[in-house]
Amino acid sequence: MNKLLLKLALTATVGSLLSSNPTFSQVLPPAEKAARVEITQGPALELAHDDLAIIRWTTNNPGGSDDHFGVVHYGTDPKNLSESANSQIRLNRAHPETIFRVRVSGLKPRTTYYYRVTSTESNGKSDGVESPVNQFSTPGSGERIVAFPKRD
Amino acid sequence: MRTSVITTVSGTLAVVLGAYIFSHTASAQQTSPAAEPRLKQVVPPLYNPYPPGILPADLRPEIARVRREVQGIFLQALDQWRALPPPTVTGQPPTLQGTGYDEVRVLGKLMNYDENMSPFRNRACAFCHMPYAGFSGPIPSVNLTMVAYPGSEEFRAGKRTAQRYTYSPRFPVLDYHISDGLFVGGNFWDGRATGYLLQSADAEQSQHPPVDTQEHALPDTACIALRLSQSVYRPLFEQVWGPTSLAIKFPFNSEGICGTPGGAVVLGPSATPIPLTPADRTKANEAYNHWAQSISFFESSPEVSPFTSKVDFAIAGTPTQSPQELAGVTLFRGKGNCNSCHLDGQSTLLKPGQADTGTYAANARPLFTCFGYSNLGLPLNPRDAIFYQSTPDPFGFTANSFGFGYRDLGLGTFLRSGPGSAPNPNSAWTQFAPRMDGRQQVSTVRNVGMTPPQCPTTEAGQVDANGKPIPYFQKEFFHNGYIKSLKQLVHFYNTRDMFAYPVTSGHCPAGKTEKVDCWPMPEVSNNMDMTIGNLGLTDQEENLLVLAMQDLTDGYNPANPTVSTYPNINTFTGACMTGGSASTQGNEVLIPTPPLPPCAQGICDVAPLPSPNPIL
Repeated sequence: MNKLLLKLALTATVGSLLSSNPTFSQVLPPAEKAARVEITQGPALELAHDDLAIIRWTTNNPGGSDDHFGVVHYGTDPKNLSESANSQIRLNRAHPETIFRVRVSGLKPRTTYYYRVTSTESNGKSDGVESPVNQFSTPGSGERIVAFPKRD
Repeated sequence: MRTSVITTVSGTLAVVLGAYIFSHTASAQQTSPAAEPRLKQVVPPLYNPYPPGILPADLRPEIARVRREVQGIFLQALDQWRALPPPTVTGQPPTLQGTGYDEVRVLGKLMNYDENMSPFRNRACAFCHMPYAGFSGPIPSVNLTMVAYPGSEEFRAGKRTAQRYTYSPRFPVLDYHISDGLFVGGNFWDGRATGYLLQSADAEQSQHPPVDTQEHALPDTACIALRLSQSVYRPLFEQVWGPTSLAIKFPFNSEGICGTPGGAVVLGPSATPIPLTPADRTKANEAYNHWAQSISFFESSPEVSPFTSKVDFAIAGTPTQSPQELAGVTLFRGKGNCNSCHLDGQSTLLKPGQADTGTYAANARPLFTCFGYSNLGLPLNPRDAIFYQSTPDPFGFTANSFGFGYRDLGLGTFLRSGPGSAPNPNSAWTQFAPRMDGRQQVSTVRNVGMTPPQCPTTEAGQVDANGKPIPYFQKEFFHNGYIKSLKQLVHFYNTRDMFAYPVTSGHCPAGKTEKVDCWPMPEVSNNMDMTIGNLGLTDQEENLLVLAMQDLTDGYNPANPTVSTYPNINTFTGACMTGGSASTQGNEVLIPTPPLPPCAQGICDVAPLPSPNPIL
């Protein structure tokens, strides 16, 4: 037998075994997009330090890409929400609801900020939901506010 | 030029390493396949750039202990090879009828436990990946302190924890999903083993450590072919991959080159310092691919990845989980939200009466990972050995010239072909680096809790039904080993943001306990995953989640639950640990992080720039 042919055949045989993998099917296409996305809870301040706040809200599961982004548009003037922050979360396809949480950093202590929130798929496509303008205040230097989970 | 380099190598080796006695011929073609060449092992010159207390006190005896264990399993594999029936190649295409699976598996096992695959013949792949640790790091004191394992040139070391082999062959080839904006697949924490060439991320993973300067540290991939050609199991390799697969004419100085750790100044910048003919270089490359495929086959076999956890038996219709464990499973799918990334093949009953609408195709054998990448926001671990290797070793090699300016950007650095990673083979992906900075691979949860039988838990402070303390095996978790117990792991997911403080590790405010009610700031704050950080779990719920994770340990036997069936689980000959608490496990070795310089230009000032930049 031609030794080269034998080697090539063995390579192909074992190689195909090694690359054949039924669990690849666990990599799923994006989930079906929800017909309508609504905020069911919040948005509200989850916690805040003097220079950082986390804003939290819940929607029905928006579907679409597994990676999603919560977006907070904010500013000290309710009519000029010129700053924005976004944070990535991962959808749980089997959960009926999705919690978005966004880190807003670079804030000033003892300052009131106004904000509204929205969310997007990983490619920036909007989920088509937007909150009314809300507000939060940062604590003083070295202080912190913990609003969730609530403490007795 | 080539000749002068080799001459320099030879001369320098004579000075630095002393006499290196060869009793084999220079040409591998003339080497007897029946016996190992009789080489005297060289003691590598010591490299110790570490301040006192960084290296664990028992490092040398523990290295010796693991090496003995590795050698024992190597001999076991030799016996398994010799017990195989005679091979029969038949059919079209030609196939090793009946024995093919076993031959490739045993060949991969032999390679995995072969210490000759390093310059000083002192490091096998298994040195950092032993069965009793779920094929992750086998030295408790290393897991507790320096994070990365010492390589063939002691004490060079890498920068991350040793990932578990288990189920790694089932990670797909790295791909970017345009529709999702996600990278999926690959091997390694940073995804640098893409699998693009061999179409197996796991196989390509096994090609990195042998030539990683801080691991096996062979200076040329052809050194693997050379050492294989000298090995006692060469006939098995040739049986599987062809009778001329190792027929390579190696120049006389090849052994001297392969006995010099990669990165040595005397070797020069070439990635192929062994001057082979083009035809022999091709053969050596093929042998290296076959090395990779054989090891990957071993790792995919039931000896490594058997799907024999308590969860697998439950899926197959033999439910044995306790009510507490099942409560943990419910939390895993529900309030804990673990299965958003650690896919369990099941749907989630979040609320009473809600229908299970799960449609995952891989329900039967879920892998408890999404194959994705996430930045969990772990604090910088100042004990990581990489930070201290900023001065040249005896071979003139410096692993990390950035010192504490080094930042682990994970997948982001790989996409930029950055330092400490590997060349990115797809330039179209580079643009995504800023969105991937800080992201590390989402590991499978399977075998995260595997330990040797005599130390049956990873958790400190556990007691049995009679109140007797249960000894534990110290592991390390996540890419930088900052977390030392599963309890801490869950607590981190649960409270990262709740107890966040703008300090580095070792500097929590007075009255606060690090890892309990104080989490230092993240090493990389860009792209932090906000799915986690404030889950609202109670202390008891955290404990239930630990139980759920421990149920994913292979080797469970419903007929005899106290005795593991996992192959070679009994090979640990070291000591268990006792005392303490899982919540504060390892806190006794916390050290204050020194003032951190900004992220080094060589990492963070590489286009496309991180966003935001500088990384805080």
